Amino acid sequence: MSEAIIVAHEVSVELGGNPVLAGVSLTASRGEVVALVGPNGSGKSTLLRCLAGLQPVTSGHVTVLGAEPVDEAAFWRQVALMGDEPAWYPGLTGREHLELMAAVHGESRMTADEALELFGLDGRADASPLNLSTGQRQRLHLAATLIRPSRVLLLDEPERGLDAAFRTRLGVLVEEYAAEGGTVVMATHDPELAGRGCRMSPTGQLTS
Amino acid sequence: MNIPGRSTATPSSVRAFVRSRRARPAGALDRYVAVFGVLMTAAVLGNPLSAALAGLAGRVEPARAAAGLALVAVAYAGFVAVARLAGPVALPAADAAWLVLSPLDRRGVLARTARVLLVTAVVVGAVLGLAALAALGAPDQLVWRLLGAVVLGVSATTGGVALAVLGQVTPSWNGWLTAVTTALLAVAVLLTVAAVGGRWRAAFEPVAVPLTWPATAAEVPLAALGGAPLTWVAAVTGGAALGAALLVRQAWSALGRMPARAVLAASLRVGHVTRAATVLDPSALTWAAEDNHWRSRRLRSRPWPPLPAPFALAWHDWRRAVRRPGRLVALPATAVMPAVLVQALGGPVGAAGGPPLVVVASVLAGALAVAVAHTAGARRDGDNPALSRLAGVGRRPALAARALLPALLSGAWAAAALAGLTLAGALPTAPATGSGTYLDGAWWLFGPAMAPAVAAGALRMARRRPVDHSMPVIDTPGGAVPTGPLFWALTGVDLAVLGCLPALAAFAVGTDGIGVLLAAQTITGLAVLAASTLRAGSANGT
Repeated sequence: MSEAIIVAHEVSVELGGNPVLAGVSLTASRGEVVALVGPNGSGKSTLLRCLAGLQPVTSGHVTVLGAEPVDEAAFWRQVALMGDEPAWYPGLTGREHLELMAAVHGESRMTADEALELFGLDGRADASPLNLSTGQRQRLHLAATLIRPSRVLLLDEPERGLDAAFRTRLGVLVEEYAAEGGTVVMATHDPELAGRGCRMSPTGQLTS
Repeated sequence: MNIPGRSTATPSSVRAFVRSRRARPAGALDRYVAVFGVLMTAAVLGNPLSAALAGLAGRVEPARAAAGLALVAVAYAGFVAVARLAGPVALPAADAAWLVLSPLDRRGVLARTARVLLVTAVVVGAVLGLAALAALGAPDQLVWRLLGAVVLGVSATTGGVALAVLGQVTPSWNGWLTAVTTALLAVAVLLTVAAVGGRWRAAFEPVAVPLTWPATAAEVPLAALGGAPLTWVAAVTGGAALGAALLVRQAWSALGRMPARAVLAASLRVGHVTRAATVLDPSALTWAAEDNHWRSRRLRSRPWPPLPAPFALAWHDWRRAVRRPGRLVALPATAVMPAVLVQALGGPVGAAGGPPLVVVASVLAGALAVAVAHTAGARRDGDNPALSRLAGVGRRPALAARALLPALLSGAWAAAALAGLTLAGALPTAPATGSGTYLDGAWWLFGPAMAPAVAAGALRMARRRPVDHSMPVIDTPGGAVPTGPLFWALTGVDLAVLGCLPALAAFAVGTDGIGVLLAAQTITGLAVLAASTLRAGSANGT
């Protein structure tokens, strides 16, 4: 059996007295892609936040890389989380955001130039993220997430604002990340992207 | 309903229709409360105002007059800058959305805003006129000089706002307003040099330092200005009023040609301000201004230097600072303001020959403002930690690295401000060091010594959470005090004041024991920074 990187066992979460997750279990191994699917409000993002250590569980337990996830630097050096659009640093260009990510980690999975080309931003490298379109900012966010080294990738609806062609390319990028030995858990509404991995609904039922 | 689609609809009829649909239209009681409020305000302010007016009579020392006029010039430039930043013609969000992009007469839609602008300009102008007269003094004919100063002030502000409105319609007008404010700021700088230089010259008179210009050059006309003949005052005032009236008339006729995009953009900016005021969270304003600035700038990527991770993260603040050269250039200029303030207040009056408390507070506030302006990275990560989680840098090393730039700049600013105060004679010129030797002008050493504590306060301010409105409201004899906004406002300032206590004590006691207090300040500043960094590392959240 392959190494289990993420284990969520019988996880339940209540928010304001309302059950959001009820007894969800999930296991993701090295090199595996797990896609969380389901309608709005089914708890996909909440489960991702539990895996990132940002949402305390009401019952059950979660381990990531053999330990309980905590919101600390040592955890984030291993785990890359992509959620809502970040607040971009004022005064920096898109390229500089990517170079900053590479610089703070000391190494990178690709150069800033390669990332800009891969994510279709080479013509807008000198633009402030504030002056990019919604889809371009999502691409930049994805590039910043994927340029840095990590062992676990947590993506919350990464297809938001992306055109159809780039959604296909994103699927390939996610598969390449897993092929390098990474583990991916992503919440998505895109059937093609969900088809890249093992699909699961937050009710705990494995659908394929 | 007879409004939509009719060619007879006017802005006033549309507004009347909207008012009629409100839950409760303004009644007699509301009008009574408004009138009563105005009368009470007049009654409360009447006595102090008449006392202040009576105090205007008499001559004022030239150095003090120069400093006072410099502050008035800076305040006028600030008023014009705020007017331009706000639009000045802007509408509430609902009016901007529904009335601007409609067939209604544009001038009619904007008339209410124009009236508000006019009233604001008149009030601000009257205050500035009074302030200018207070700076110059009125050796005779107080009533006529007061009238002239008020008319001159009102003419200046209404003319300035009219120019700003014209600039909103036709950008070429902006050049005139920029020229006027630049000239005024240049005059303010000259007056500042005259005020500080005059004091400096007086302080060093025994050693015969040959500083005769521009102090003397500015002092002579200032003395003449204070006692100018009434016919001259009338001529200048009349000319200014005529010019302002022409500009206001021109602006009123241009209001009908106001482009919709100009009004909508200004309304969006004012909307940010209103929202920030409504939720009582002024930090929302800083991001609106910051984002607007960078949206309009063309940037060119530069390679990121190979630095250790915390410094690579903190490098963002350095790069941002370099990309705002105007702000960097303005910083040394503002360091002279405490010295100007001490002149405007009439020279040193504090304990042991030191500066008044308000001047000491201005040094600390200025240094803190400089430091806060260079903590954007910490502020942004505090508001939204998504990028800092991607960076994966520990809180303590990140905070320590980010303290470097605000400490450096605030230390330099405070050193320059203290040197200015020393030159202005507001601080003793020969403070004794702990070893018993004397170093002229060594007060500036407190600037670098205070810097770590000021940086710690600025970073605490940058990382504070939004205002907690669930905190209790305390009833006091002076009225209810909401503790949420109070604690929010004091977060960061508390740490800076605590860390600068030895320096504040030194200003209070004068030259005695200055060496010990300087050493204590150095140690306290570093200790406060170290403690706040260590404490931040134990908090939750990256």
